[in-house]
Order: sequence, then C-alpha cells, then structure tokens
Amino acid sequence: MLHLLAQAEPFRSPTVDFHAFAPEIVLSVSIVVVLLVDLVFDERGKWATSSIAGIGLLAALVPVLTLAVDGADRSLFDGAYVVDNFALVMKALFLLSGYVTILISARYIAEGDYYEGEYYFMLLCSLLGMLVMGSARDLISIFVALELLSIPAYLLAGWRKRDLRGNEASLKYYLLGVFAAAVMLYGMSLIFGVTGSTILTEIGAALDGGEAPAPIVVVGILFIVIGFAFKVSAVPFHTWAPDTYEGAPTPITAYLSVASKAAGFVALLQLVFIGFLGRSDVWGPLFWVLAAITMTVGNLIALRQTNIVRMLAYSSVAQAGFMLAPFAVAGDIDVDRGGPLAAIPPVVTYLLIYAAMNLGAFAVVMVVARKTRSGELSSYGGLFEYAPGLAVLMTVFIFALAGIPPLGGWLAKFVVFRALLDAGTPAAIVLAVIAAVNSVISLFYYASVAREMWMRPVPDGDRAPIRIPASLGSALALAAAFTLLFGVSNVATRFGDLAIFGFLP
Amino acid sequence: MSEFLRAYLTVAVFGLAAGLLVAAMLGLGKLVQPSRPSRQKRINYESGVDPVGAGFGQSQVRYYIFALLFVMFDVEAVFIFPWAIGLESFGVFGLIEMAIFIVILALGLVYAWRKGVLRWA
Repeated sequence: MLHLLAQAEPFRSPTVDFHAFAPEIVLSVSIVVVLLVDLVFDERGKWATSSIAGIGLLAALVPVLTLAVDGADRSLFDGAYVVDNFALVMKALFLLSGYVTILISARYIAEGDYYEGEYYFMLLCSLLGMLVMGSARDLISIFVALELLSIPAYLLAGWRKRDLRGNEASLKYYLLGVFAAAVMLYGMSLIFGVTGSTILTEIGAALDGGEAPAPIVVVGILFIVIGFAFKVSAVPFHTWAPDTYEGAPTPITAYLSVASKAAGFVALLQLVFIGFLGRSDVWGPLFWVLAAITMTVGNLIALRQTNIVRMLAYSSVAQAGFMLAPFAVAGDIDVDRGGPLAAIPPVVTYLLIYAAMNLGAFAVVMVVARKTRSGELSSYGGLFEYAPGLAVLMTVFIFALAGIPPLGGWLAKFVVFRALLDAGTPAAIVLAVIAAVNSVISLFYYASVAREMWMRPVPDGDRAPIRIPASLGSALALAAAFTLLFGVSNVATRFGDLAIFGFLP
Repeated sequence: MSEFLRAYLTVAVFGLAAGLLVAAMLGLGKLVQPSRPSRQKRINYESGVDPVGAGFGQSQVRYYIFALLFVMFDVEAVFIFPWAIGLESFGVFGLIEMAIFIVILALGLVYAWRKGVLRWA
C-alpha cells in the first residue's frame, strides 16, 4: 500500500476558484450558524433560526448574481464541477424557491410541536445538495448531490413525527428513493464501464452517435433515466408522490413538488444533453412514452381527488409530463432551429413558471388550512365570501396551473408546444395532440377548485375572516407577482434562453 | 465460449474447489471424530459466554445511536488515515481541508452531546 502511494504522482494542491464556489460556501456557513444557534441558545434561540436560514439563502444569491455579472464559464476539477449560465439560472431558482419554502414554513413549524432548529438545518442541507446539482457535470458529483438533497428530504417528509400518515410518507419516499438510487447507480456503472469516464463531456464524446448503440449503453441510459424518473415522479414511477405529498408537512410538500422536482430535471438535462446527446435514438422514444403516460395518468387520477393536497400532487405529476415532452422530441429538432439543445429552454422556462404558481397554490392551501384545519376540497366552499383576496389569489394560481392566459402557466405550455411543433415529426405531433387534450382535461379539476370557492356555500357557516401571517403573506405576494410577471412578459423565456451549457462534448 | 465468459469459468472453478475443500474437511472430521453429545456440549458457542434467554433477544434502541456515532468516526478515520500518510505532500491546503472536515464532524458530535445522546439514561 505504502509503496503504491510512493509511486503515485506528487500531490499538487488544486487552484480552487473560490468565487465559483461562493454560493455553496455562503450556504454551508449559514447551515453551521443555524445549527450553532440552535445548540447554544436552545429554546431561546429557536425563533431566530428561520430568519437566519432565510437570510443565508438570500446571501447565497449575491454570489450567484456576481457570477452572472462576471459572465465567464468556469470549469473546476477537470470539468466535474461547472459554473455556467445554466448552473446559475438553476441555482437562482433553487435559492428563491427555498426562500419561499422558508417563508411558508415559518409559522407552521413555530406553532406546531416540531423540532424547529433542525428543520431549517435539514432544509438548508437539502438546498446545498441542489446548488451542487446545478453545477455537477460528473456522474459521481451528480450522485453525491442527489443524495445530499434527498436524505434530508426523506427526514423532512416525516417531520410530523407522531402522525401515522407522516411516517408513511417518509418511509415510502425513502424506500422508493433508495431503490431508484440503486437502479440509477447500476446504470451509471454500466455507462462508466463502456466509456471509461465519469465526466459528462467525455461520456458525450465517447457515446457520440454513429452505428446502432451497444445493448449495454441502452440499458445504462435506461436505468439512469428511470432513476431520475422517480425523482421527478413520472408515471409509472410516481406511486410515492401522492402519499408522500399528503403525509408530509405542507411546506415540505411544496418544497418537494417544486425544488426537488426541479433538481431531478436539472440532473436529467445535464445527463441527457451533455452525456447522452449523441444517443437520442435511445432516450427519445423512452421520454416520449414517459411524457405521454405521465401527463395522461396524472390528469385522469387528479380528476377524482377530493383532497386538495392529493389533487395538487397528481397535478404536479401531470405537469412533470409536460416538462418531459421536450426531451422526447429533442433528437428531431432541425439544426437550423437549434438542434437537440433547443429542447433545453422550454424545460427551464417551464420549471421557472411552475415553481412560482405551484408554490403560490401551496401557500394558499397553508393559509386556508390554518382556519379550516382540513385539506378537503369541500372546505374551500364559499371562500370568496369570507376571504375574497385569498380566493382571487387561489384562482390566479390554479388557472395559471391550468394554462390560461394571461397567467404564467400558458407561456410554459406554449414553449413546450412550440418545441414539439419545431420537431414536426409525426411522433412529435401526436405528443402535441396528447398534451393538448390533457390541458383540456386538467381544466376540469382546476376549475372545480374555483367553483368550490366562488359558487358553493360555506360548509359549516363559519365566516370568520382568515388572518394571514406576514411571512405567509409575503410568500403569497412573491408567488403571485412572479406568476403574473411570467404571464405578461417574456422574463421566463429570456431566462430559459439564457440557460445554456458552457461546456459540451 | 467467448473470452469474457472464460474469465468467469475461472471464478466458477475456484468456487467449486472451495466448496469441495470445505466438504472434504468437514466430512473427514465427521468420519474420524468420536461423537458423545451432552446437553452442555450442545448449547450455542458464543465466545465462551453462556447464552441467556430466548433466541430472539431485543437490544436497547440506544445502541442504535451509538452505532450511528461510531459510523461517523469510522468515516472520519477512513479519510484521515490516507491524509496522514501523505501529510507532507498535501501541505497547508490539505491541512485546512482536513480541519474543515473535522470541525464539521465535531459539530455533529457537539450536537449529539447537547441533545443528551451521550447520556445513558
């Protein structure tokens, strides 16, 4: 052992670009501060942990902005860690949706009988994993990022410790998550065996098109995509999502359905469009099937839900189907329309808009549940009569999710349809038709929430107005502002077009 | 048979030889040894300690926390030993890296200590 070490090349300390790492460093420091405050001040300091966590997230946004102003693509550790425009856009999304999650968590966690300091510690750890995921361009760093963001999420899903549903949520999420990670690791090992590298750009160069793919490459890509299909809750790998979303604390449900899903898509985008770019003949049909059944099954089951959280869970499954659609046709997009990489902006745009409207919808669910103590759809009866502002906001969010102009969601669907029509092949047209039919189906269940709020009587006659705490109010305002802004301006598509990879094979 | 599978043939032969060797040794022992079982001789051997209680024993859930702490320090050792061997070549960079690593792990221990995990009560 020792003589082997002696033979190895002498170690040279790497030149670490600390500016590139600054968002992660700032977040790590705030994680430590949150833990220390919780430890040192014990009960007296708990109230401060949410503020520190929120400030830490906003502070981590500062280096993201300075890196964006600087504009140079940075590649660290032989290309395993890359800071480019794509990474920065996604990091900004993660940090902002994490901030909104903290805003909607603050009162919920403080008022309930929960571990408070640890909650924010876990949430920040998970967000750190997401920041790493945005930059990870190497199979190993992708896996480490995935575990770092998933393991705290398993715990957070079971944060309602004495609630049976909470335990079920955590356990299901954990078991299926670990299973998916095992499948994915197996796929990664096969791809590493074939290409001899874990760096995505090198894998991309090694798998570059040409003759029919070796069976082992097909299996490797299949397993990796399936592993992340669990993370983004694509049918038929969605079974954990409704139970986990219902049993987890509602802020964590919002977090899982937005940030965690976005992280899965980020990993998929990086793997597919850098590592497997030349093999669209393998993953194209796979994504076609996933997208088609995800949006259809998600929508059909959502139609029958009577619990609003379960309904939003299935709606988020269906929305994932729309985000998967551009992957399916990427290989067919002509070079003069941007080639396969033209499928990235629609996905990123969709993620940004979806984050705003879905976080908003969950924030309203939180506020209403503070009064009604219920997640049933019927408890929204007559909401307009005693909380008109809230009813209007909820209408905005659900019609945005349904994709009705001028609210954000229509633009998200529009860019997806444009990508499908740009590809123009019969398969892409069929997928576009399926997506269009699904948009119509989804309107039924989204509209049923509106009907409940605007037309039904108040179920128990309790018309006491709902008080909205400041933190929840600001979360609502942020989400509503972004939902409207994304709908009437091209901000989201601008960011989508910005999010390009700095280093390709 | 391809070159790839032939490599596995060696593994199969090796496994077979191992099985045969074990069977031969145990079988030979069975043939030559005298067998005079008694109650005392038939009880399970557990490092010389008499087994107590039923086959399914429950252990304290508190051991679990200690096991977790043990894993923490195990992982720490896994990283510290190779680093210590190459201490000079890693230089100040390696020293700072390891300091950060240990401080964060120590923070975990402080957390466990403050939460009363280390108290056996």
